[in-house]
Formats: sequence, C-alpha cells, structure tokens
Amino acid sequence: MIRKTLLLIALVSLESAAAAQLPGLRRRDPVPAVPVQQPLDVLRADFGAQSGGTTVYFSGNSAALGPQAKTILSGQAAWLRLHPEVTVRIEVHGDSGDTRDHALAIGARRAEEARNYLILLGVPAPQVSAMTWGKERPGAPRAVTVLVR
Amino acid sequence: MKAHRFRTVLLLAGLCVAGSAQAAVQAGTPAAVVIAIPPLTSPDTGAKGNEMLSMAWQATQLIASDLRQTAELMPLTPDRKDYYSYPEVTAPTFSKWRDKGAKALLTGFVQARSDGRLTVGCYVYDAEKGRELGRKGFVVAPSDWRRAAHKCSGLAYQAITGAPGMFDSRIAYVAESGPPSARVKRIAVMDSDGFNHRYVTAGDTIVLTPHLSPKANQLAYVSFVGGTPQIRVLNLESKEQHPLVPNGAMSFAPRYSPDGSKIVFSMMLGPNSDIYVVGSNGGFAQRLTTAPGTDTDASFSPDGSKIVFESDRSGTQQLYVMDANGANERRISFGSGWYAAPEWSPDGEWIAFTRRGAGARQIGIIKPDGSGEKVLTTGPADDSPSWAASSREILFERNDASGRPGLYRLTLDGSEPRKMTIPQDGSDPDWSPTID
Repeated sequence: MIRKTLLLIALVSLESAAAAQLPGLRRRDPVPAVPVQQPLDVLRADFGAQSGGTTVYFSGNSAALGPQAKTILSGQAAWLRLHPEVTVRIEVHGDSGDTRDHALAIGARRAEEARNYLILLGVPAPQVSAMTWGKERPGAPRAVTVLVR
Repeated sequence: MKAHRFRTVLLLAGLCVAGSAQAAVQAGTPAAVVIAIPPLTSPDTGAKGNEMLSMAWQATQLIASDLRQTAELMPLTPDRKDYYSYPEVTAPTFSKWRDKGAKALLTGFVQARSDGRLTVGCYVYDAEKGRELGRKGFVVAPSDWRRAAHKCSGLAYQAITGAPGMFDSRIAYVAESGPPSARVKRIAVMDSDGFNHRYVTAGDTIVLTPHLSPKANQLAYVSFVGGTPQIRVLNLESKEQHPLVPNGAMSFAPRYSPDGSKIVFSMMLGPNSDIYVVGSNGGFAQRLTTAPGTDTDASFSPDGSKIVFESDRSGTQQLYVMDANGANERRISFGSGWYAAPEWSPDGEWIAFTRRGAGARQIGIIKPDGSGEKVLTTGPADDSPSWAASSREILFERNDASGRPGLYRLTLDGSEPRKMTIPQDGSDPDWSPTID
C-alpha cells in the first residue's frame, strides 16, 4: 500500500518533469489521485487516541525512558509508520525548580532519547525532530510529541 | 599645597598608598567608612562657569548616590553650602570634614574644554591624616557626564576598599512581561544604576542568558528564533548580529573570556552537551569536554587560564575546574545538593554558584580549590549569580512567592539582598566588568 503510493508519487513527479521538458505536450488523462491529506487537527486527535498519548514523563534528573514512556512511544511509532506523510517534533519541557541552562541541556538529552527510541522502532529519522524548551514552559519534566504536518 | 601639579591630573596617582590607607581606615572598623562629598567645583567663570557648576552638582549627587549603594562607604549628604574654590580642590580644609565625622573626602572639578568636551577631575583623601589617596581625570563628551561621575565613585571606592569600583558598568538581563502562558522576553541593557535602560531584542522570540563582552559593547545570548536554542552575538553599537556557530546544533550558556577574545559555551553535537570554546568573532569551535554527561555553564578564571563548569557526570550536578584547554578536570563541590551556574569572581578568589537542595535554590560561593563554601541566600528560588567588578557583590535572579522573577543585589557581608528597580520583571542578569 505504502509502496504503491510512493510509486504513484514517483510517477507523478516523472510526468510533471516530462511535461516541463516538453511544453507542447498536453496531458489528457485526469491527474492521478494523490493520497488525501487529512486536516492536521484530525490527525492529531487520531494520533493521540491510537498511540496511547502524546506525552511521556521523566523522573528526577534522568533522561532515561521508563516502561510507561516506552509503551507510549511504541504506540506513537506504530502510528507514525502508518502515516509517513506526517512529521512530528518532540518538544521537551523542564522543571521550574531546575537552573536555566541545565534545564535546557537535560531537556535536549531527553528529546534525543525519545527521538532515538522512535527511530529504533522503525520511524524514519527525517520524520522526527526534537527540541528543548528548557524551563520556558515549565511543569513536570515531559516530552510532548507534536504533529507538525 | 599641590596646586602647581593641578593640571596634570590625567594620570592615576596615589594608588600605591591606597593599600596602606585601606589598612588604616578599615582596622577595627567593620562599619562603613564615612566619606564627605562637598559639591565639585569649576575653574570656569561667567555663563560657562554656571553651566559647569550645575553639571558639577549633578555629578556630586550621582557620586554620593553610587557610594551610598555600597556596604563599605557611607557618604555624607552633599550640601551646596559646602562650596569650595578651584585651588581648594587640592588643598581642602581637612579639619572641617574631620569635625563632621568624615574619615575620607572626595573633591573635584568640572571644566569645559575648547573642543566642547569636559574634563572631570577627582581627588580622594584620607581626611584624618590629611593625605591624598588617589586622583584621576576624565575627558568626556558632555552627554557622558554620568560615566565620568561613576569613574570618580570608582576611584573613591578603590582608594578606600582596595577593590575595583563597579559603578561605570552595564547590566544585561532578560526583561519579562505578559501572562505566564504568553510571556514576552526581551534582552535589556542598562547602566549599573538603572539609567540608559533599553531593549535590544524585539520580543518576537524567546531569548535567554545574555552575557556582555568585557567592554560591554557586545553581547552573546540564546535565541529560539530558528526553533532550536542557539547562541547569537549582538553588537550593541552597530546592532548587527549573527549566530556564534554556523551549524544547526543547539548551543547555549555563552560567556566571554576576560580579554573578550573568546567565548566559552555549551553545544549539543552528540547525545549530550559539552563545553566548547571559539573566537568571539567566529572560527572553529574547539571541544573541551568529552565526558558522558551534561556539561554546561562554563566561566573563565580572571587570568583566562582555567574554566569552571557544571556537570552531572557523577549523577548530580556538581562544579568542576579544568585548564582552559580542557586538561586536568577536577571536581570541587562535594556538599549536599546540586551545584550549578558557576561564575568565577573578577578577583579570582571565589566561584559563585546556584545550589539546589531540599526544595530551595540558593546562591553561594566556594573557593576554586573547593574550600570555604558559604551559602549566602535563603532562596527559595534564586539563580544566575553574576559578580560585580568589585568581587564584593553578586547580582542574581530571585523568583518571589508568586513566581515572578526580579533582579537582586547581594553583598558578601551577609546583609539582606536588595531588589533592583527595573521597568518590569527580570531574569538571567549579567553584570559587566568596569568599562575602560
């Protein structure tokens, strides 16, 4: 299914390239259907529901993923493999009790941990980015997977 | 007495006797040294003279205000009735000031120059011994009269305490406004007395941790503008700015070397952040730490030979000192709690830090060899200590009971921190050295 879609996309791009090279060539067939992109909010709701949550939590000073975090990330990975057209950004929020720069640094480590776990479970790396908010939006130390498009 | 040498004020003299004067004034007197500051005078006459005297009076009041901020000096309130003539600048009537309880005396003048600028001359005396402790002259544009007055304050402070005055310096910080859900953060820069306050970033993106260059004409700060936190360097005069390291990696926690030629900072090129150093005008970043763990918040020693930083390689945040090339790392903090955000004092004696323990974040100091640790504040949410040029005061961020951050000044003598007056909330303060 995925492969078929990719093939279609490849064909489409080939065709438009050919059309660009030969301006006189008129296309007669209707444009082949490209996969319908669902609105982002619909995808977001589906992602949250299907994968068991958008947010995983960290404890103490640790960047390690606990069992609960791994379960949720596995669910996220399964959903993302089915939606290769969607990219996500892992945003990590820190503890307001932390110091400014350490919150940034530990947040970046946590973001990388979560991102690497998704990649380990088969999500293509370009589909996942990661960043840290430090303690700019404080609360319990957590990684939120945000659908970007 | 010294009137014949009067016009050669431009060189600093008398500092060699400052050391002994310090001992004389401080021995057995923990209380502040009382200093008399009669109004500065002027050799000019006529309308120009009046203009200069008016400026001299403003400068006098500013000097008194500067010195009143310190723990070591207590100025008598300047009184216009104590006017003295130009020759008396170098031949003051010491007995008059001794009678008023002053141990020290500051005299001076403001003179118009033919090129439109001003000469401000200042003299500091031990009023008890009737001896000059120091003199200095400054040539400034009329619009810079405040800087000249701050320099006079610095002369008095240094002559009496032996420590550099921090009055002619700047403070950069993050100005915060708006509700917690939509906080607007802008970098602000001001003179250390709060004047010349201005915003140097627009507030359309999150900005953090400004650090001024030693001349306070540049600053390095962290911006979220591209999504990833990255250090940018801003020229405060030309307003030009650029990323410190031209790659996509996250970089943060910048600090200038004491000579301003380098910036030490943290960068995430692998799974965790390490300390790097790069020329302040760019070039290749050199990696200094490689340990697995989060290494950040590096700060040079005043001679540039060593770097203190924090690392959680042991499992908790602790302070480490290494050579400036990354060699000879050693841990210096072993107390209970987590140690973070170190900054080396300008005199090299102390390292200020933020300590996280039992529900509170507090500011403390520790010797570079790990001895003499003292916690100076009660918290509960203090952070980001930054030294004054005098090494006797620390500026830091304190979050009050409602969680609002403000800037506070702390003297090492253990007195209660004082809140600075700024136009809105403030965090991440950085206090520059005295500007040359």
